[in-house]
Amino acid sequence: MTCPSQIDIKMVQALLTALEADNQEQATVLLDDLTQLRESELYQRLSVLTNNLHGTLDQLIDNQLLLQTKHDIPEVTERLEYVLSSTEEACDKTLVSTEKAMVLSESISELIQDALLSDTQQAQIQCLLSELNTELTNILLSQSFQDLTGQVLNRVVLTISSLEQSLIQLISESGHDYAAIPDREKDDTIQKSAEMKGIGPNVTQKSKQDSVGSQDDVDDLLGELGI
Amino acid sequence: MQMNRDMNILVVDDFSTMRRIVKNLLKELGFHKFDEADDGATAWPMVQTGKYDFIVSDWNMPDMTGLDLLKHVRADANLQNTPFLLITAEAKRSQILEAAQAGVDGYIVKPFTAATLNGKIHKIFERVAEREKG
Repeated sequence: MTCPSQIDIKMVQALLTALEADNQEQATVLLDDLTQLRESELYQRLSVLTNNLHGTLDQLIDNQLLLQTKHDIPEVTERLEYVLSSTEEACDKTLVSTEKAMVLSESISELIQDALLSDTQQAQIQCLLSELNTELTNILLSQSFQDLTGQVLNRVVLTISSLEQSLIQLISESGHDYAAIPDREKDDTIQKSAEMKGIGPNVTQKSKQDSVGSQDDVDDLLGELGI
Repeated sequence: MQMNRDMNILVVDDFSTMRRIVKNLLKELGFHKFDEADDGATAWPMVQTGKYDFIVSDWNMPDMTGLDLLKHVRADANLQNTPFLLITAEAKRSQILEAAQAGVDGYIVKPFTAATLNGKIHKIFERVAEREKG
């Protein structure tokens, strides 16, 4: 970076002379000139820095980053939300079934009290039911993981959303039009190769395209082929 | 080949949880002889021993996919008639058609129910029996 305007020693000497002569008016004018010179130099340096920053941003915000910001980051959020909802659903099913099993265990306990069983047999069955209830309680308690993992995932979703907003802002400020970022170019060969390796559950709106919705759809499709 | 509750079944999935679930469901259906593999590459040498009467496999696994395992089985003259069931999260129509083309006997999408597994196993062995009758 060049420094186009240097402080002239003569200006400083003139300022000193004015101060020594107690010429405040002249000294103020000379000092203002010096300050203005300094400020102008600062603005020029800032201008160079800003240009450099724009250049760096242009290099940084390549096509890949634009596509990732527009397409991949929202998909990450969608995938995490799928994890949140599917684990919650699975936990709920487990809790409902465990609670039903606990009620059944209670009913068995009441029924055997009226059954014609020896005291030893009654005690043995009650002991087994007690062990069964302990296991069922363990199943109930182990579902508490959903609360903890859910909280962690919610925070990750918030962080990713915040990161997404920052990137969108950065993209806009660097002069790109976020809304005009195109869709990813679809390469059929790459897509086919990925599908043959396995792409996992189709949980995003985009990946649900051309997917079957249920086992019945699979059976219909295979049925048409005689399987 | 008739459905025999004593048959040897190989369960292939990279997630141990899913192997346990499948094994427990198969136990509920009366089967009791299982081996496990965590990947197609681990499963293939086991399958080559000729021990297995039925293979239940996931699709998406790190070293060798279930689809590739199926293709290996179908390409081997000694093993090609082994009933093969895919249980997978892969649900694109193109993938299901590819599996059908490779010779899969049944295709179950995850998540699935015990009733679906039971129904598919029965259908597979009905078809196998019909095929053997000629």
